Amino acid sequence: MFNLVITSLEQGIVFGIMALGVFVTFKVLDFPDLTVDGSFPLGAAVASIMIFYGGNPFLALIVATAAGMGAGFITGFLNTKGKITGLLAGILTMTALYSINLRVMGRSNVTLLNAKTIFTYFEKWGIPRQWVFLTTFIIITVIIKILLDSFLKTEVGFALRATGNNPNMARALGVNTEAMKILGLSISNGLVALSGALVAQYQGFADIGMGVGTVVAGLASVIIGEMIIGERKIGLATFSALLGSFIYRLSIGIALRLGFAATDLKLLTTILVIIALSTPRIRNLVRSVTS
Amino acid sequence: MLKLNGITKIFNKGTVNENVVLRDLYLDVNDGDFISIIGSNGAGKSTLLNIIAGVYTVDGGSILLEDRDITKLPEYERAKFIGRVFQDPMMGTAPSMTIEENLSMAYCRDKRRKLKWGLNNQMREMFRQKLAELGLGLENRMDTKVRLLSGGQRQALTLLIATMVKPKLLLLDEHTAALDPATVRQINDLTEEIVLQKGITTLMITHNMEHAIKMGNRLIMMDKGQIVLDIRGSEKMSLTVDDLIDMFESKAQRKFDEDRIVLGMKH
Repeated sequence: MFNLVITSLEQGIVFGIMALGVFVTFKVLDFPDLTVDGSFPLGAAVASIMIFYGGNPFLALIVATAAGMGAGFITGFLNTKGKITGLLAGILTMTALYSINLRVMGRSNVTLLNAKTIFTYFEKWGIPRQWVFLTTFIIITVIIKILLDSFLKTEVGFALRATGNNPNMARALGVNTEAMKILGLSISNGLVALSGALVAQYQGFADIGMGVGTVVAGLASVIIGEMIIGERKIGLATFSALLGSFIYRLSIGIALRLGFAATDLKLLTTILVIIALSTPRIRNLVRSVTS
Repeated sequence: MLKLNGITKIFNKGTVNENVVLRDLYLDVNDGDFISIIGSNGAGKSTLLNIIAGVYTVDGGSILLEDRDITKLPEYERAKFIGRVFQDPMMGTAPSMTIEENLSMAYCRDKRRKLKWGLNNQMREMFRQKLAELGLGLENRMDTKVRLLSGGQRQALTLLIATMVKPKLLLLDEHTAALDPATVRQINDLTEEIVLQKGITTLMITHNMEHAIKMGNRLIMMDKGQIVLDIRGSEKMSLTVDDLIDMFESKAQRKFDEDRIVLGMKH
């Protein structure tokens, strides 16, 4: 049981970075961004290929993040200047990335069995192997969360939030909403790619199919988190995405322990999300029936 | 200070639904004018304001603000010196953000937004004072999300947001149409107070002829994309609603049968 919790915590946090990315587009920017199914494996592919050939794994993280930002930029550009609706723009970029990711890796997967990952370094710096994943992820995520929370409280951050909340008002107050959309998409996909790069090092390989279902997992995490904590201040909102991610991974872990096959997971995820979305309604229904 | 030269705006050009909403329209607005704009539906009043704000592009003509041609300037650039209040109280504020966050956005309207904190205690103090002037108790709820406010409160807030950084031009598009009578009076008083105090050049669309006559120094009536009446000064002050209807009928050569407008009722 303890192992399950620890593993769920590890996964919850590393995929939580992806959940933060989904939070930025779906909740802050109110933009249905499907690019993430492509930018997650993009980050994994870029980082893995760099590490495979002996590159610095920390640099690999940075390059992966930049690649993700590029993907987000493209979706944003397609939407604002290309006048393609948001959903379709994301799908286009995601589809293109499938081929691009294959090119980056040169094949359908890259193994990192004996490669020097960031965990190799952290172990060298004295963190015991048993805790190296959790510690690394916590450190990185805390930094990311602080940066994101701070950004969303700056003048630019307000402009970004207003763009998603009421674009007419934002424009009427001098905000270049097109630029804000592109910025938001870049930040979001940068985070998702970073998550992919970390996950690749965590699981020891990058695979062309590892992005499938990313947006669903991200949404599930954000929705579960919102159901528990609700939409309040920024600091709490980002935390809720991370908490939701942990609970989501824990639920999956429990389901697998209970004997469900890995192939059942998509159905279970769907049921979990429906429960999470219906909870306020169920709560109100119970209240009105029993009163 | 605002000149509209030969403005033409056509919607659905070249299709079956082609609609020439503004037709070769000329308007000269002087510094300090407070102009009421009235007219039947489809006259082009909202389109006129949207053209000035940059929401729509023009199909012909030019717009000059203080001798600067802003015809091709995008909406968000014009927003740096144009303030707007909309008919829908929900439109002028960001509902998921707090009052102070909304005001911070208003404060940055004419500046380049940077990576510095959107709020600090100094700003909060300034916001508190300005909110207190509205007399609605909002200064005690600055960290409340705006969507929890009533329509009247949101509209008052939108008015403050639009004028906090003094704009060169204030555009009011039937901004009291969706409010109850008591709040209408409150917002109208507030509007006059702010506009006069700060000396803001204002264009106000209203369907209420009495408001149009009572407020401002100039009255314009539009019909079918043209300005058919332009009355100012003492002539305006002595107007009655019946006068307006007579004048309209003689100019437009048709009966003014919009009871709703005559009675100043809401939609």
